[in-house]
Amino acid sequence: MELIQLSMPLLLSGLLLTLKISIFAVVIGFFIGLGLAIARISGSFMLAAFSQGYSSVFRGTPLMVQLFLFYYGLGQLSFIRDSALAWWVIGDGVRCAILVLALNSAAYTSEILRGGFMSVPKGALEAARACGMSKWLQFRRIEFPIAMRQALPAYGNEVILTLKGSSLASTIAVLEITGHAKRLMSQTFAVIEVFAMAGAIYLFINVVMIVLLRLTERSLMRHMAA
Amino acid sequence: MSVEIPAVCVEGIEKSFGSLSVLKGLGLTAHSGDVVTLIGSSGSGKSTFLRCINLLEQPDGGTITINGELVRTRQDRNGKWQPADRRQVERIRSKVGMVFQNFNLWPHMTVLQNIVEAPVHVLKIPRQQAEEEAHALLRKVGLADKPGHYPSQLSGGQQQRAAIARTLAMKPRLLLFDEPTSALDPELVGEVLRVIRQLAEEGNTMIIVTHEMQFAREVSSEIMFLHQGRVEEKGAPEIIFKEAKSARLRQFLARAAGGPGAD
Amino acid sequence: MGIPYVGSAFWELWEAGWPAAILRGASVTLAIGLCSICLGIVIGTIGGLVKWARLFPFTLAIDGYTTLIRGVPELLVIYLLFFSSAEFVSQVTAAFGYGGADDSAYGFVVGTVAIGVISGAYSVEVVRGALVAVPRGHIEAGRALGLSRGRIFRRIIAPQMLRLAVPGMNNIWQSTMKDTALISVVGLQELMRISSIGAGSTRQPLLFYAVAAVVYLGITIVSQIVFGVIERILNKSNRAG
Repeated sequence: MELIQLSMPLLLSGLLLTLKISIFAVVIGFFIGLGLAIARISGSFMLAAFSQGYSSVFRGTPLMVQLFLFYYGLGQLSFIRDSALAWWVIGDGVRCAILVLALNSAAYTSEILRGGFMSVPKGALEAARACGMSKWLQFRRIEFPIAMRQALPAYGNEVILTLKGSSLASTIAVLEITGHAKRLMSQTFAVIEVFAMAGAIYLFINVVMIVLLRLTERSLMRHMAA
Repeated sequence: MSVEIPAVCVEGIEKSFGSLSVLKGLGLTAHSGDVVTLIGSSGSGKSTFLRCINLLEQPDGGTITINGELVRTRQDRNGKWQPADRRQVERIRSKVGMVFQNFNLWPHMTVLQNIVEAPVHVLKIPRQQAEEEAHALLRKVGLADKPGHYPSQLSGGQQQRAAIARTLAMKPRLLLFDEPTSALDPELVGEVLRVIRQLAEEGNTMIIVTHEMQFAREVSSEIMFLHQGRVEEKGAPEIIFKEAKSARLRQFLARAAGGPGAD
Repeated sequence: MGIPYVGSAFWELWEAGWPAAILRGASVTLAIGLCSICLGIVIGTIGGLVKWARLFPFTLAIDGYTTLIRGVPELLVIYLLFFSSAEFVSQVTAAFGYGGADDSAYGFVVGTVAIGVISGAYSVEVVRGALVAVPRGHIEAGRALGLSRGRIFRRIIAPQMLRLAVPGMNNIWQSTMKDTALISVVGLQELMRISSIGAGSTRQPLLFYAVAAVVYLGITIVSQIVFGVIERILNKSNRAG
């Protein structure tokens, strides 16, 4: 019992960092991913090639390698250390983790959104052009909303994966949930109990995420035939 | 004949897909209130020609003049013709309505939202006013009780009528119909034809591509028979249907009358 | 200023035997990956079959297992297995030398079990999905012809299931390969760990982690090609119709 009293507050303090890292990474990653998806479906060969290359590299290498590459690797370069802005991001464990997690999530998000865009019925876009909508209006009101609805289940999954990815910040000395859990496990030897508590916290966030996702799906997908 | 400007005047339209030449110098003139129907076998180019009028297809040659305004074109790097002014095209399209074979309603919006979307965002009509007009249009096409429904909840005939209401909401000067009933189950065709006939009787300027010969005969002021990208014959319905000069046209009409879904 | 320095020090590193160490690490990574995915396939097949056959209450246990693994970070699972094992002390001492004693077989086992258990949870759904995707009509035809249940499974369902599971297994393999990098935290000398050690001892993290990334990318690309070939072979007989 006293184990729980001692451990829980620590784990919960880690929760705040976990949420901070995850939420920032998801939001930033979404916009970068959206840009990459648009680049991919744009007519430009250069943009599409860049987007595809970016996606292949970030999805083809472990998140941990990416994290260390940025945190330790870029941190080695003097021009990074000298730049106030760059160092503010790269030098700090939390912010660097957010950056790398966002860049990583953007790669997966771009694939998911690209799938969404490709699933938009061509006829719906033709009808938009036919009544005189500009390309931007067409994108904003027709193409993006339909694509997003299609992509929602897969994207929800990606959000959960990003949440799990936040645990890697513990490898660069960030004390989020996993960071605290590792410490507690090695100090108290009550390994299974700590795992249970930390795991329970993650599962709880998962459940909340899934519920939010289902609600969003339900309100946005009313248009699907019963 | 008055010297009024024709609603639409199209001349010398050419279009190729790769090495396949689909349209070989087609032209069409329609004045306000005219109903021109294009008929012909599959592959004759009727849909492609119709889609050139509102530039959903970009012709490789020829001119398009809508309400006296010539669509300006220029050649791009590869020598292909493009519209010179995107805004002009968008403006013209906002005044030309098109009804598609597959309805093309926006699936993520209700019927009412579908109808007010373009008036609100393209014509900048206040939402309140657009919605009132939308309800009136729904009554007109017989869907007064369906504003909150999603397209997936409607039958094909209902979807097409909703699509027609959506087109009318823009108050277009010219209406284009691309095989409006071809994708419908036979028993649903009638309700849509009824609406289209009403529009013709109200004096709308319309260009229709259809296989419904009987209907074409009843509503058109002029019929054009297309064959392999050229106008083979054209004239008033009574002449075309009774005393067609072209043998091919007579064959085509015989086949069309011969059986259900012929052609 | 950092990059030219890296370039000029490259040959020193070559001399010191680092490329060989990287290759050694990569081979350990591949070995762990292969062993884990085998374990994962075994777990996934059993779990997938149980779920497909709807064997209550075992399905509850399977569901609990998959929900747990899918909801909890892999690192946490690795720490669980690592710290709860009795010999971690010896593992810790082995982790501080590089290229010295061979990886403790124990670290290998812990790593394999951890990644295998994780990939197993995802494999359950792939196997179940593949079983469900076998067209009903094929099974009904077998029954109509009087084939026994066992024969139907062996000759009709199983072969199709294998073909249908390949894309999903491709994804799981990619994930498994990347997850092996996580075992570096417990000191096992796979690719990531070797890169870390190298980065630390030569003060060239950019070079080492970039090389590691390239090697992982290489493994990914080769895997994609191999899976593409496998898919093409399995689908050849399916081409008619």
